[in-house]
Amino acid sequence: MNRIEARLQQVQAKGEKAFVTYITAGLPDMEGCAKLIKAQEEAGLDVLELGIPFSDPVADGPTIQAASYKSIQQGTNLKKVFDMVEKLRGEKCELPIVFMMYFNTVLYYGLEAFAARCAEAGVDGVIIPDLPYEEQEQLQSILDKTENAPILLQLITPVSRQRIPMLVEKARGFVYCISSMGVTGQSADFHKDVVTYLQDVKKVSKVPVMLGFGIRTAQDVSSLKDTIDGCIVGSHLIKMMEESNYDLEKAKDYIRTFKKELNA
Amino acid sequence: MSNTYYGEFGGQYVAETLMNTLNELEKAFEEVIKDPKFWDEYNYYLKEYVGRETPLYLAERLSEKYGTKIYLKREDLNHTGAHKINNVIGQILLAKRMGKTKVIAETGAGQHGVATATGAALFGMGCKVYMGSEDIERQHLNVMRMEMLGAEVVSVQSGSNTLKDATNEAIRTWAKEAEDTFYVIGSAVGPHPYPKMVKEFQRCISVEAKRQFMEKEGRLPEVVMACVGGGSNSIGMFAEFIDEPGVELIGVEAAGMGIESGKHASAMALGKPGVLHGMRSYLLQDEDGNVQLAHSISAGLDYPGVGPEHAYLRDSGRAQYVSITDDEAMAALSELCKLEGIIPAIESAHALAYAFKKAKTMTKDQAIVLCLSGRGDKDAHTIESYFSGNGYLN
Repeated sequence: MNRIEARLQQVQAKGEKAFVTYITAGLPDMEGCAKLIKAQEEAGLDVLELGIPFSDPVADGPTIQAASYKSIQQGTNLKKVFDMVEKLRGEKCELPIVFMMYFNTVLYYGLEAFAARCAEAGVDGVIIPDLPYEEQEQLQSILDKTENAPILLQLITPVSRQRIPMLVEKARGFVYCISSMGVTGQSADFHKDVVTYLQDVKKVSKVPVMLGFGIRTAQDVSSLKDTIDGCIVGSHLIKMMEESNYDLEKAKDYIRTFKKELNA
Repeated sequence: MSNTYYGEFGGQYVAETLMNTLNELEKAFEEVIKDPKFWDEYNYYLKEYVGRETPLYLAERLSEKYGTKIYLKREDLNHTGAHKINNVIGQILLAKRMGKTKVIAETGAGQHGVATATGAALFGMGCKVYMGSEDIERQHLNVMRMEMLGAEVVSVQSGSNTLKDATNEAIRTWAKEAEDTFYVIGSAVGPHPYPKMVKEFQRCISVEAKRQFMEKEGRLPEVVMACVGGGSNSIGMFAEFIDEPGVELIGVEAAGMGIESGKHASAMALGKPGVLHGMRSYLLQDEDGNVQLAHSISAGLDYPGVGPEHAYLRDSGRAQYVSITDDEAMAALSELCKLEGIIPAIESAHALAYAFKKAKTMTKDQAIVLCLSGRGDKDAHTIESYFSGNGYLN
């Protein structure tokens, strides 16, 4: 069974909410990044999103743009990130890992080769913010033909409205609901219709509903707890890591505290 | 594939946040193109405000020198100095119909920014123009013009601080503010329906040119050509000739310091299919699939991608795409100044430079129709710097 599905079933069986983080691959360097992943697994993280740096990250705000740029300068590329994940899997890391990436990176690598290498290295899911539902067919059909292929996760937004049933129909793993319009890493000023929109998604979704964009602490989502199955933090954690010079204890504390408060 | 594609190129590679926006835009656009009232209004402003139609001028001294008839479609004579205004008038009229109150735009050299600021002033809309911090430095005159016209120029500091990054930032803002904001894209690029929309709003170039040529020569020209950055003036120049198989279509990209130098903007010559700014098309990329920086002395051609219909016209063999270096373009620019008394934009000078080469293979009874997309006033600084041997400003 896919690691994301297995883990989220466990979490739900315990009646808990899941916690997902996003970090940019290759920071502070490849080795440090692998350590940060292991530390987060140890602290009880449920799913990790690993951002594959791209030159033109149009869905990201300043924090992730800067991290992405820095990582590219240091020579991070998709091939190296695959190697890192494969090595982690060899070291008994069982944390579900999702690649968050832009479609050009996949296209350049080759769709078949990408699907096969994900399966081989142990990548469990892929989120591609510039590959909307209407453009997914080509990649999805290749993933369908690949054994142990990653799940192509669906993004849903406060303005998706009538598109929601279509987006969740075949969704697997979880659906990634964004809290506000625009890009990652803005403040926690969620969209005015966030509650009704999340309820609309929850009504029709067969898989867990996760909320992301602009979340920093469990308090940010406390009023939405009845509706969501978990949440995602990216820019805030990246900032925290940059500011603390990648203090692993700090990351672990943050994850433990967040999970505890989320499930309080 | 669906109607959002030209062969394998085009599509809608945008965030889910923008899908409803694009669907609404497509619906509104498909409605207006069937509405004669919309076209009446558009044509009214093109005539009374922009100053169309523009002349199709037989450049006599050039024709004599190069041994074939060279006709120039004088888009440089439009209000604001280039073809960009044709498209802006169309898109802003559409934005108004859709009830939007603000427009945003990206700009490299500043021509599309100035055109958008102009259109926004004309129709009383708020206007923000995204421009790379490096372009703001080197195109100061256009920044001042935009500000005089009441637009806010937003300096973009990310990536290479140029057009590509300004476009990224405009897309980010659009995703945030689409409810009341219309994104006016200046080139034949972006997600569907933009490439199609830009083509329809630039089609006036070839509608006029075809009729004007017919009136003068009683037939169709042998060759039609234009410069290609993203490809807006060229798609407008090609539009009415695509279904005329006897007319050779040539797009001229920027070879910068030479294709082999790696410092160029020839997406068709060396790019591979990729995805950027909402479209699948030829794209300059490095060995990791990151977008490579383009180089051209002409800021308007300094773009790593190209419009999807051009990619399709190339692969289907209907149009041919060639490249011209900075030096060749500047020599052609100088020649047009001295032989015809016209200072062209450096972008347009790329097409001219190739016309001179092409003319050598043609007879004196044959003819080239070339889109002189803009005037060179904006480039005075760059031209001066180049010819005084101080290198490029770009």
